[in-house]
Amino acid sequence: MIGFILRRLLIIIPMALLVVSLTWGLIRLAPGNFYSDERSLPPAIEENIKRKYGLDKPVYQQYLIMLGNVVRGDFGDSLKYQGQSVNEIIFRHLPYSATVGVLAYLLALFFGLTAGIIAALRQNSAFDYGSMATAMLGLSVPNFVLGPILVIVFSLWLFWLPPARWGGISNLILPVITLSAIYAAYIARLTRAGMLEVMRSDYIRTARAKGLDEKTVLLKHGLRGGIVPVVSFTGPALANLLAGTVVVEKVFAIPGLGNIFIQSVLNRDEPLTLGIVAFLSILIMIFNLVVDISYGFLDPRIRYE
Amino acid sequence: MFLIRSGKLHPVYALVVLSSLLAGCGGVASEGFYGKTAAPGDNVLRYITGSEPESLDPAVPTGQPEARLLMSLYDGLTEYDPRTMQPIPGIAESWEVGQENTEYVFKLRKNAKFSNGDPIKAQDFVYSFRRALDPELAAKNAYLAHYIKYAEEYNSMRSFVRDKSGRFLLESDLNGEKQEAAPGTQPQADANLSEFRKFIDGPMRLTVPSDEKSRNAALEKNPKLKSLVEGAELVPVKAEDLGVEAVDDYTFRIKLKQPAPFLLGLLPHQFFRVVHRGTIEKHGKDWTKPENIVTSGPFKLKEHHPYDRVVVEKDPNYWDAEMVRLDGIAFYPLEEQTTMLNLYKTGEVDAIYNHTVPAAWVDSVSKFKDEYMNHPEVAIEYYTVNVTKPPMNDVRVRKAFALAVDRDAMAAFRKTTQPLIDFTPEGLFPEYEQIRSEVYARELKKIGSSLDEWKARKFDPEKARKLLAEAGFPVTQNGSGWSCPNFPVDQVEILYNTNDNNKSIAEFIQAQFKQNLGITLQLKNQEWKTFLNTRKQLEYSGLGRAGWIGDYMDPMSFLKLFYGPNNDSSTGWTKPAYDKLIDDANREPDPKKRFEKMAEAEFMVMQEQPVLPWQTQKTNFLRKPYVKGLYPNPGTLHAWKFVYIEQDPAKWDRDVETIFNVKDEWVTGHINRLIATQASLVEREEGYKTAGKFGY
Repeated sequence: MIGFILRRLLIIIPMALLVVSLTWGLIRLAPGNFYSDERSLPPAIEENIKRKYGLDKPVYQQYLIMLGNVVRGDFGDSLKYQGQSVNEIIFRHLPYSATVGVLAYLLALFFGLTAGIIAALRQNSAFDYGSMATAMLGLSVPNFVLGPILVIVFSLWLFWLPPARWGGISNLILPVITLSAIYAAYIARLTRAGMLEVMRSDYIRTARAKGLDEKTVLLKHGLRGGIVPVVSFTGPALANLLAGTVVVEKVFAIPGLGNIFIQSVLNRDEPLTLGIVAFLSILIMIFNLVVDISYGFLDPRIRYE
Repeated sequence: MFLIRSGKLHPVYALVVLSSLLAGCGGVASEGFYGKTAAPGDNVLRYITGSEPESLDPAVPTGQPEARLLMSLYDGLTEYDPRTMQPIPGIAESWEVGQENTEYVFKLRKNAKFSNGDPIKAQDFVYSFRRALDPELAAKNAYLAHYIKYAEEYNSMRSFVRDKSGRFLLESDLNGEKQEAAPGTQPQADANLSEFRKFIDGPMRLTVPSDEKSRNAALEKNPKLKSLVEGAELVPVKAEDLGVEAVDDYTFRIKLKQPAPFLLGLLPHQFFRVVHRGTIEKHGKDWTKPENIVTSGPFKLKEHHPYDRVVVEKDPNYWDAEMVRLDGIAFYPLEEQTTMLNLYKTGEVDAIYNHTVPAAWVDSVSKFKDEYMNHPEVAIEYYTVNVTKPPMNDVRVRKAFALAVDRDAMAAFRKTTQPLIDFTPEGLFPEYEQIRSEVYARELKKIGSSLDEWKARKFDPEKARKLLAEAGFPVTQNGSGWSCPNFPVDQVEILYNTNDNNKSIAEFIQAQFKQNLGITLQLKNQEWKTFLNTRKQLEYSGLGRAGWIGDYMDPMSFLKLFYGPNNDSSTGWTKPAYDKLIDDANREPDPKKRFEKMAEAEFMVMQEQPVLPWQTQKTNFLRKPYVKGLYPNPGTLHAWKFVYIEQDPAKWDRDVETIFNVKDEWVTGHINRLIATQASLVEREEGYKTAGKFGY
C-alpha cells in the first residue's frame, strides 16, 4: 500500500512537468503577447519590455529558465499584474473558489445521496420518477442559465439576496446553489444506479439472511458498495470545484481562481497560466490518488499492487 | 436538488416560467428610477471601473479602468475638467508657454503634500518623470512623454556622440541643415544660464543606439552617419539629460524637442502624475502594496482585494482636501455587463463605467432619463483598408466602400453611436470643426466640389457605384438589387476580432455592401491578440475593424495616427506632404492657424480614404441620480474631487440628456476657483459663458 502511494506520488512530478511544457509550447504558438494592444508600441519600448522579461534570449534558454523555475516551485511574477508573484495570486484566490466549491459539493452530496438512496429503495415509485426527472433537468440546465434565473427571482424581484460579489453568507447562497445543481443531479443518478446494483448482490442477501435489521444492511453494507461510483466521481469533481468554475465566478463576480485562469490565457500572462496549470494538474493527480486509496476502505475486494 | 424530498416541482420549472414573464415587464421601479434608488448614508461612492488594475503604480498601466482609479490616488501638474476633460490647474497653480511651444514653466502650489505629509516639490516631478521614462521600468506609456527633449533617446537607450575634439555632434551635422532646424533653439547669450540650461536649450544632439547590434545596423544604412560616428566616443543618454528641471522648489520646467501645443491636455494622464521617491526606493516593486504605498491625490488607499475591490478614503493631507466631499470610493473591478447591471439595479453600486449597457438592454434602460448617460466620446469606430493590395490600392474603390454604408441606419442599429464621416470624432471639438468647415469649403472649391457634397458622404450609394465603375468594376441593376460581377470578392474580406458586437456590426456592413454595391464580402474573425498582429503586419486583405480613443482632448490625438512612414494606422498609407502639415501645425503658436493646418491634413487623408470612418462612440453608462459632479465627459475619466452624493432627492439630477446645460453651483464654483490663477483658462470659461454652456 505504501509502495503504491509512493510510486503514484513520484509519477506526479514528471507528469506535471510534461503538462507545463506542453502548455508553455501552446502559449508560445498563440500569436500576440502580453504587451500587444490596439496601440502598437514604438519598437524601442518593445525592446525595453523584452529585455526586462528576458524575451530577448534564445527560445531554448527561455524554456530552460522556465523549467528551472517550475522545478523550484517559483513561477515568478505575473506579467500583467506587476509586482505580484504567481504563487501569491494562486493562494490568494484559491480560498474563494474553494469555499464556494466545497459548500456546493457538500450541498450536492446531501441532496444527491438522499434522493439517490430513496429513489433506489423505492424503485419505480412516484418519488423515483420525479426525482430522476428533476435530476435529468438539473443535468441539462447549464449553470449560466440557472444562475441568472435565480438572480432575477431572488435579487431583482424579491430583493432578498445580493445579485453578485463577495461578502457575507447571503452572497454565497445563490452561487452555491447554482454550482451544486449539476453535481447534485449527477450524484443522485450515480447513487441510485450504484445502490440498485448493490442491493441485488449476494452479500446483501447474506446480510439479510444473518438476520440483520434493514437499517444496518442498508447503511453498513449497502451504502459502502453503492457509493463507490460517487467516490470516483468526487476526485476530479472536487479538483474542478477547487480550481474555480469560470461561469459561476463570472456571473456572481467571485474573485476565484477560474476567472483568473481564463483571463491569464487571454492576457498571454505566461507565468500565471503556467502556475495555475501546474497547480491544477497536481491537484487533480492527488485527488485521484486519494480516491484510489479510499476504494480499499469502501470495498474490501479491492487490493493495491 | 434542494426541493426533491418534498416531491414538489423542481424550482427551475417555476423559474423558467417566471423569467419568461419577466422579459415582458421591463422592471420599472417606483418613482421612475431604475431599481433600488437610495443615496448611501456613509458618503462612500461605489463605482464599477472595469477590469482588475494592472498596477497601482501610475507609470505602469495603460487602460481606462486604471486611469479612473489612479486619478483618485495621484495628482498631476494639471487635472481634467470634469465636464470637458480640458486641462485645469492641479498641483501647478499657473504656467507659461514659451520658445515656440517648446518650453513650459509651471508654478507649483506650496501647500501640496503626499499622503504621508511630505511636501510635493518640483524635484518630485523631476524624479517622477525620469523614473517613468527609465528603460528598466519599460513603461508602455512612455511614448506619451517622447515630446520631452531627450526623453525618447533616454527611454530607447541611445547615446550621444562626442568627437575627438570633445564636441558633441548635433543632428544638424548629419542633416547638413544649419541651426534653423530645431525651433526655440536660438543661441542663448545670457552668461548666467546654468550649464544644464545651455545644454537643454541648445541644438538637438545627434544620438545613436547604445546597443552595438542595432547601432551597427543603423550605421550600415547611413554611410554619412557611419563616417561621423567612426572613432568618436559614445556617451549614453542619462536620466539627468531629460528636458525636465526643478528651477527652484516650486518651479518646474519642461523643455520639448518638438512643439506640442496639446501638452497641457496630456499632463493629467496618470503617466505624468507625481509619485513619492522615498517609498519607491525603499520598497522596490512592493511599493504599491497597501502597507507601503504613499500617494498624492485627493484619496489614499485603504484596502486592495484583487478582483474584488479597491477602497480609497479621503486624504486629509491633500492640498484641496476641504473641497473633497466624498469620504471614500469603493472601486469594483468587474467586466461582466449583466452582473454589473444587476448590482446597479439592486442598488449595490452607484455608477458604472462607459460602454456597459448591452445593446439588447439599451431600449429599456434608456427610458430612465435621469440615469442613462449617452453622450459623444473622444472615441471612434472605423475600418482600416490595406492600401497595399489590389483592388483596395485604388482610391476610387476605397471611396466607393466608404460611401456605400448608410451611417444613419447604422447609428439607429447601434443605438450608442452617432454617424462619422471624418477621422476626428464629431461634436467634441467645436472650435476645430468650425475652422475645418472653412478649410474644407476652400479646398473643395479648388476641385470643383462643395461642402454640401462632402457632407453627403454619410451615405451616397449612387456615387459609390459610379466610382466602382470608373475603377473597372461596373455595377449593374439586377432585378431589384445590384450586382458587380467583375469585383474580386476573393481578394477582399472583413477582418474583426472575435466578439458578438463586432460580428453584428460586420454583418450590418456586409449587408450594406451587398445591398448597395452588389458585392458580398466574406467575414473573418480572429482572437484579439492574433487579430492585432494580423492587422499591424498588414497580413489582411481588404478591411479590418478598428477603434481609437484619444489620449488627450485635441484632434491631433487622432491625426497623429497617419504621421510618419511607419505610422500606427495599420493601413500601409503614408504621405510626406501629410507629415509636413502635421509638423507645421505642431510648430504653430496661434491656435486658429494650427487648426487650419490640421484641417488641411485631415482633408488630405480623407481624400485618400485609407480608413472608412463609421461612428463616433457615445458613453452608454448608468449612474444613480444622487451621484452629482460625475459628468459623461468625452473619456469617462472623472476627477473624483468634483463628485459628491446628494442626499436631498429634490436636488438630484433630472433628465441627464441636458446635463451640460444645467448649472451645478458647487462644481462650477470649484472650477472657477481653481482656474482663477491662469488667465488663459479664465478666458476659456468666459467663452463657455458667452456660448451659454454649462448652465451659465
